Parts: sequence; structure tokens; C-alpha cells
Amino acid sequence: MMATKGIEISDNKNPTKWASPSNGDEKKPTSDGKLRATAQVLAAKQREISVSEFFAKNRHLLGFDNPRKALLTTVKEAVDNALDACEEAGILPEVWVQIQATGENRFRVDVQDNGPGIVKKQIPLIFGKLLYGSKFHRLRMSRGQQGIGISAAGMYGLLTTGKPVKIVSKIARDKPAHYYEIQIDTKRNVPEILNGRGEGEDIPPNEAGRQYMEKQGIAWIDVDHGTRVTIELEGRYQRGRGSVEEYLELTALANPHVTIHYQDPEGHERTFLRLTDQLPPEPKEIKPHPYGVELGVLVAMLRETEATTLARFLKESFSRVSDGIAQRICEAAKLGSRANPRRLSQQEAEALYQAIQQTKIPPPATDCVWPIGEQLLLRALHQMVPAEFYAAATRPPAVYRGNPFIVEVALAYGGTPPIQRISREAFEDLLAETDARTLRQFLAATFDGMGASAADKILQEAQLPRRIMPGNLDQEQRSRLYEAIRNVDLFEGQTMTVLRYANRVPLLFQAGACAITQTVMQTNWRLYGLEQARGALPTGPVTLMVHIASVWVPFTSESKEAIAAYPEIQKELRLAFQAVGRKLGMYLRRRQRAQHEGQRRNLFLRYLGEVATAVSMITPVDRDQLYEKLVSVAKRKTAQADLEFDEHGRPITPDQQTAEDYGGGVLVVEPMAFGEQSEALPPPEALQNQPAAESVSYS
Amino acid sequence: MAKRTPKTDLEKVVVNPSRLPPEDRRTFERLQRLAQKVVSAAEAGRDPVLDVPARTLSNVQYNAKRGIIEMGSATNRRQLFNLNQARSFMQTLLVASGAARLIAQGKTTSLRGMYYLLKHTIEGTREETFDDQEESDSAIEDLEVLLNALREELHLYAKNAGAMVGEIVLVDSGDVIDCSRMGSGGYSIPSIVEPEVIQFRRCNAKFILHVEKDTVWRRFNEDKFWKKHHCILTHGGGQPPRGVRRLLYRMHHELKLPVYCLLDNDPWGYYIYSVIKQGSINLAYESQRMAIPAARFLGLRAKDYEECGLSPSVRIALNETDRRRAKQIAKYPWFANKKEWQREIKQLLDNGFKLEVEALISKDISYVTEEYTPKRLRDRDWLD
Repeated sequence: MMATKGIEISDNKNPTKWASPSNGDEKKPTSDGKLRATAQVLAAKQREISVSEFFAKNRHLLGFDNPRKALLTTVKEAVDNALDACEEAGILPEVWVQIQATGENRFRVDVQDNGPGIVKKQIPLIFGKLLYGSKFHRLRMSRGQQGIGISAAGMYGLLTTGKPVKIVSKIARDKPAHYYEIQIDTKRNVPEILNGRGEGEDIPPNEAGRQYMEKQGIAWIDVDHGTRVTIELEGRYQRGRGSVEEYLELTALANPHVTIHYQDPEGHERTFLRLTDQLPPEPKEIKPHPYGVELGVLVAMLRETEATTLARFLKESFSRVSDGIAQRICEAAKLGSRANPRRLSQQEAEALYQAIQQTKIPPPATDCVWPIGEQLLLRALHQMVPAEFYAAATRPPAVYRGNPFIVEVALAYGGTPPIQRISREAFEDLLAETDARTLRQFLAATFDGMGASAADKILQEAQLPRRIMPGNLDQEQRSRLYEAIRNVDLFEGQTMTVLRYANRVPLLFQAGACAITQTVMQTNWRLYGLEQARGALPTGPVTLMVHIASVWVPFTSESKEAIAAYPEIQKELRLAFQAVGRKLGMYLRRRQRAQHEGQRRNLFLRYLGEVATAVSMITPVDRDQLYEKLVSVAKRKTAQADLEFDEHGRPITPDQQTAEDYGGGVLVVEPMAFGEQSEALPPPEALQNQPAAESVSYS
Repeated sequence: MAKRTPKTDLEKVVVNPSRLPPEDRRTFERLQRLAQKVVSAAEAGRDPVLDVPARTLSNVQYNAKRGIIEMGSATNRRQLFNLNQARSFMQTLLVASGAARLIAQGKTTSLRGMYYLLKHTIEGTREETFDDQEESDSAIEDLEVLLNALREELHLYAKNAGAMVGEIVLVDSGDVIDCSRMGSGGYSIPSIVEPEVIQFRRCNAKFILHVEKDTVWRRFNEDKFWKKHHCILTHGGGQPPRGVRRLLYRMHHELKLPVYCLLDNDPWGYYIYSVIKQGSINLAYESQRMAIPAARFLGLRAKDYEECGLSPSVRIALNETDRRRAKQIAKYPWFANKKEWQREIKQLLDNGFKLEVEALISKDISYVTEEYTPKRLRDRDWLD
């Protein structure tokens, strides 16, 4: 049972005295009378743990919990870094992502950008040292925050495959490209450079250099400047929900100024082209706002400041603190404004902290956070999700704990659910790849917006048992399943698809723990014409894209998968949901009215045939001529009926029924103009083949 | 809309009305006028409408002078281009075409037959022209009032209900029927009893006794009441169908036979009498061809429990519906100012129970045929 490091402890030799009222002077600490260890012995084992070591053992904290997620997280960290770098340098980002299989469950991930490149001496530190980076020590809206991501990905690769991270970076057309192979020393959290005798290699920017790269097998897309990172890791490639492809698609959606080229392990290429050449405005870096500082941080700041007086400390360390406000804080804390900030006692620091909370300080400047913007959101969502109605709302900036943030929301309603747009080929691939044990699980886990009930409906339609293994389906059963998927009405029972973003980065996991999802569920969508069970996501063909931009996004963990539920954030979310919800409600009511009119007209048309036939049987009259005449009367009749009246009793003309009376921020796609439906009922099959003439109106 | 698949002879219904028998010609011309209204409206670019006389209590008046219920002049406008009326407009015209077809072919069918004749899926939809027979029955009634034509004139009949025995010989569709030789079942009264179908040949009867239902009628037939008292014995199986009422009317008017009714002593019995006498609210438009204002209510009476000394066990307690119904009937204009009827209904309510004709059997099996009815007739003890 005992003993570590060969130290035997006998109770005779090493009597430890315990004060024990009942049992004299000797104490037996364990049942067999042996002490386990002394403080000295324990001390010998107590030593500093390196961050790298800690994360190597706690990889789930960084998003490397399983092989599938590891692959995605690696791509994500590299792409996030690439985009941040480009935007900071003012370059329209273009990113190449390539995943190649190098063995069973082994993949090589290549991510290259056209960013500014990295100066030579920084490369090893950025990619080979955890918590090294430009982003942690400042408050500025960016994708990365801590400087953990990419080096953690490299470390994960090294741990699972033993392969180093490879980096090529070039800062200008006529400058050499730097090539590094790096591995992280997890014990010391320092980078180890493996190539060029520990110095890395410089590849000249000429033809010779290009030939050298080709010869050495160094991959590089010829751009004037940029960075390429290559990581080999153990992973699992899978399509569907939570896949690399989905992540890139969603990234493109929230970053309409980015072009992404993607090549998957099977060599399929896909490009997401940018929708705009306009870079988002450069976010400003800000000092922390006093309200956002915790006591412990305040104490640390006081200790480290170089300011000589308390008033100066307050003014220089924080944003929005003027001389007057500094004075008022000092007064409230009963401290002299000329006191030495480094000499404040614990009590005085606490008083200062309380004083800050009690003093009225203007909210932080908000030009440090930039939304995507309603128009771009609408266009991006329209590009990505085929629907009939789109609405977007960007909230004015707000503040939580002194950190400015902006919530924006875009909503798409209607259209075909994603699963029904799938090609037969892609469907077969998904079926072959899945590790789901039952068909039901496969359906629910692979496709967005597919609830258990929708899955059941599909299986019932296909007449397949729920528990069958997806791999065991024969050709005929697969066909049946595919047909069922395409034919079943999934709108019913389909739950809202919520796309979450933080600083333009899609969040793919832990939806349930995220403030966004929670607030969606707490919002009453029934008011806006959707069905919703209490405390659940609403149902219907709805996609909701939610973006939170902030200088510091409060994630619940380092893997940045869920946003913490601060009341201020939840309030803004709620207001944004209500804004798009109201617009949706208006649209749905209008659509219902339109449908009603259509039904009305159809109803008449339907009966006219019967009436014409009956009349022609009684009295000598040509049935078809009579029918035509009745139809023309019907059209005139219902044309009058189409003239609906708005809430104020004014007739609504079709032109007015577009975007502006939604209050802006909407996009309506009408598959068919109203009048067309009244032409004698086409048979259903003709409707299907008719290309829907789309009329799109932005506002 | 695609043309419907022609049902061979369906398309060729349009006939020259002049070739039809006279009673059918009248109906057919009315049908054509109805159809022509739709055609001319369509040609003028107007929406076709039908003004259907309202078949509601509020549109029913009691003509005290004639002693029958008559229909008022109120109409309901039925529009083709009205969301709530389009379907019934279509159904009314369908029924019209069905009737035209029957007339043209010289055939008759039942209400249910008409329902099946016209029921089909509307082209290009999943909607049926008629969901159930109630819809087609209602459309038929609309057509009757629209054309002021009887159901029989539209070549429609209801199922036979009601029987007749007695000292009368008639011709039904060319067959001579001697109603005194009908055995225990009697002559089943058809639903169409118009002169074209039934002619009276010979009659020795002095009056008609109409009883409520089959069981009582059997008692009277078994006891050969009609032979003894020289009468005609009919029943209508509860509320008498139109064929029975029409035949009673014809015999009453053409053969000058008084009509006596022997019905249960309850609101339902009163109502049956009211329908025979004045006509029904629902079919007020037919009253003048069916109502028999001179019909008399022989029994049972509320006083009979005591007068005949019936045992308490034959009483059936009145329920709330009965009481409500009785009060309603008391307010009918044709009962409202008849003191005897008011007394009768009041006594029923005071009694708190109702009596069936069969209750008289508790005295003796043939009490009703040998004592009760002959005595009442002798004493002229009836309500009018």
C-alpha cells in the first residue's frame, strides 16, 4: 500500500505527535500504524506545472476531446488566426484549407492565408509556446483571445503523431520565405526548432527558392505575403453536423469579406467566394472600463502601476475616467486623490473597488466593436440558406461588466430544409461514413434541424425499422430512405436551427450550455407565429443566426464553445430576437392573408368546373365557354378581394407590401408572384417542374 | 381545368321539354330557367346568385284562414363567389342536373340514390362534391323551394314507411290493389302517391283512422276494426313521411273522408298531429299539398289516465325536453288560441307524465279497438 520513492516510515522511528485528548501521546494515523508521508517528502514532489503540460493532460479544455473534434479545432484555430492577421493588416482575407489523409485516422491539415506574414524571430514563439500572442494583453475585438489555440493544435499533433508543426511565412514579394519545423517542449513551454540546425530555413523569393520548396515537399501557394501552417494529427474526418465543411461554410456566412478554398480528404474542392470587397472597419483597442474590473485584478493593477497618484492611476489605466470622475471615485472611497496607488492597503483597495461601483461612469466607447451589419447578414444568409423571408437586426452597442458588446441577429424562414437538398451521392457518402448505431441516431446526428420526431417520420415513410444499423442497409432500402428524406414534410416537427457566432467565429458545440441557445428558448416565439413548447426551441423552417461581437467574449471555457449568461447579454439577445420576431410575425400574417386569398380563389375555381358542367347538362350551353366566362368573373371578383386593407383602413397595394413597412432589415423572396396562381390550376407535377421565378427585394 | 371524363349519357341530358309528359315538362322548364340564370349572369359578367326561400321558423307563417303553415317571402341569397356559399351553390346546381337527368330518362331514385349519383371527387382536388347524404338532402330541399316543385316532381322518393288497410281499392302503377285483402302486413304506402302513380278506384270507407305506429296499427288490423267500422286504417311509423301525408291529403280531399288521429299523449304526439293538420315548419312550402286542417285528434288525452282508470305503472315521467317541447307547442299560433288545446297541454304538464297508446292494453288487449276508439267516435270526443 505504502511508500513512494523508497521511503519507508516506521512509527517507532518517526513518532508524530498529535494533540489527542482521549488517547495520550501516541497517535496511529493509519490502520496498520504507518504514516504515509511527511511534509518534506511531499514537498519534494511539489513543483511547478507548465501550462503546456497542464493542457497536454487536459486537452478537452481546448477542444481536443475526441479525434473528430480535434481535426475541426485544428482547422478552426488556424483559420481564426489567419483571418485575424489579415484583418489587422487591412488585407482582404483569402484562405486555403486542405485536409489530406496520411494514414488510418491520420490527417495533414494545411491552412494558408494571404496575410501580412510573421517576422522570423516571432514564428517559433507564436506556434511553439502556449499563451504567447498579441491578443491576451489587450481589449480588442478579435477572434482569438488568449494565444493558446494554434500552439495547442501543434502540441496535439505532436502528441498523437510525433510530427512537428511546419510553418512557411513570407512578409513581402521580394523577401525570403521562412520555413520552420517546430515542436513544443511541453515541460518548459518553449518551442524547439528542428530544421536548419535550430535556426529554421530561409527560402529565397526567386525561382531557385520555388524549386527548392518543390524538391523538399514544402507546400506553398505562391502569394506575395502570407503564412502557411501544416499540422499532422490523429483525427477523424466526418461530414454533417460539426464537420470542417460546416465550420467553413458558417465562417463564410459570418465573414462575407472572406474567400475560402477548401479541399477535403477525398479531393473534393469547394470555394466560398466573398460577397463584398469591403473589409470590416478596424476595431479599436481600448483600456478596460472600471466597471469590468474585479477586486483581485484591481489590486494587481494597483501594485504594478507606474502612476504616482491615485487619480492619475484611475485616469490612465481605465477608459472613460476623466479628472472629475477620478476625483469623485477618490472622494467616495475616502482616499486622497494624490495617494500613492502602490501603497494602498487591502481595505483601501476594497473601498476603492466599492467606490468605483457606486460612481456614475459613462459606458465605454463602443467604436471598438463592429457588427457585420444587417445588409451583409441578409445577403450572406440568403446565399447560404434558401428561404422565403429574411430579417436582420443589429442592436446598438451595450456593456456587460465594462466590456462593450453588440448583438446582431438574422433570421431565415421557409424554404427547403438542408436535408432535402442533399444529393444522392452525398447521402450515400454520409451513410457510409457514419458511426451512428441506429438509423434514427444517424438522421438526428447528421442533419441540422432534424428532431427525433422528424427522423421517425422519415423512417416510417421509408418503412424501415428505427434500430437498424445504417451500414446494414441494402441498395433498395437506401433508395427508399433517400426518397423518404426528400418527400416527407419536415417542416412539421423541424426545430429552429440556431447558428451561434462570437466575433464572427461559428460556435459548433455545447449549444445547450450557451447563453444564446438558452435565451432563444426563453423567448416567446409563439407571439410571432411560430410553434414552441414551453422552454424549448421553436419549431418550423427557421434558421436563426446570432452574432455577439465584443472586445472580450465571455466564454464558459477555454475551448470557446459556449457564451456565459450575463444578464446584460441575455437582455440584448432578447431584444434582438424580438426585433426579428416582430418582422417575421408581420410576414407570416401577411403570408397567411395571401394564402387565404389564394385559397379563396382556388375554391371558386374548383367549383366553377362543377357548376359549368351541371348547367350545361340542364340547358343547351357550351360547357367550356361557360366555364371560361365564369373564370373571368371569378378573377375580377377576387381581384377586388385582393385589395386588403391595412390597420388604418388604407388599401395596401402590392408595392407597399415590401420591405419598408417592416421597418427595414428584411429580404423577401417570392417564389411566384401572386397573380400567377390564379391561372387555372396546373396539375401538381407541372408545378414541380416549373422553375420558380424568384423576385427578391432587399431593404 | 381539364374536362371531366364524360359519363356516357350524362352529357346528353338536355332534351326537348316538349317531348316530356306534362307534369315533368313543368318541372324541367323550371330547372332550365334556373340554369339559364347562371348562364346569363356569366355572360353579363355578373356573379351568379340564387335566391333560395328561407326554410326557417322565422320565415314560416300560420295562415289562420286556410289553417295551414305557409312559407314567407324571405329568401337567402346564395352567391357563387362567396367563400361560405360557393360550395352549396355548386351542390344545388349539381342536384338540379341530377334531377334533370332523372326526368329526362323517366326514372326515379331515392335521396340516397341521388347522393351517390352526384357524389364524385372534384377535378384536380381531393374534395368530394358531397361529404355525406345530409349535404345532398339539404341541397335537394333547397332545389324544391327554389323551383316550387315537390320532391316527387324531381323524381325523388323517400323510403316506404307507413301502411294502409281498409275498404278501398286503388291502382298503383297499373296494378289494382284491394286494401281489404292485404293480410296482416297491409299495403305499404309508397313515397310517390301522385295521381300519375295512384288512382282511387272504389271506396266504401266512411273515415280514416291514422295511428302513430306499427304496433298499434297491428292491433287494429288484427281486430278487423276497419271492417267493423268501415274505415281506412293507416300508420306513418312515427312522424309520417311525405308519401303517407300526401295520400291522407288526397283521400281526405278527393274521397271526402274525415281523418282521425290516434297518437301518444306526449309532446311528440301533439307535434305529429300538428304536422298532419297544418304542415311542418321545415317543409312549409308543401303544406298546401299535404296539410289537412280538418284532421282531428282523437287521443290519447291527458285526462285518459283518470277517465280510463289506468294503472300507475303505465305512466312515463316527463323529462325536461318534454316539458320544454310541450310549452313550445302550446305557443304555436294554431294552438295558441284554442282553449281546449291549452287545457290539454296544461293537464299534461300538471300530470307530469306521458302515456303511450299501448298503455291502454293494460286494461285489456283489445280495449283500444273495442271500447276506447268506438266510444270516442260515438261521443265525438276529440280535439280539433
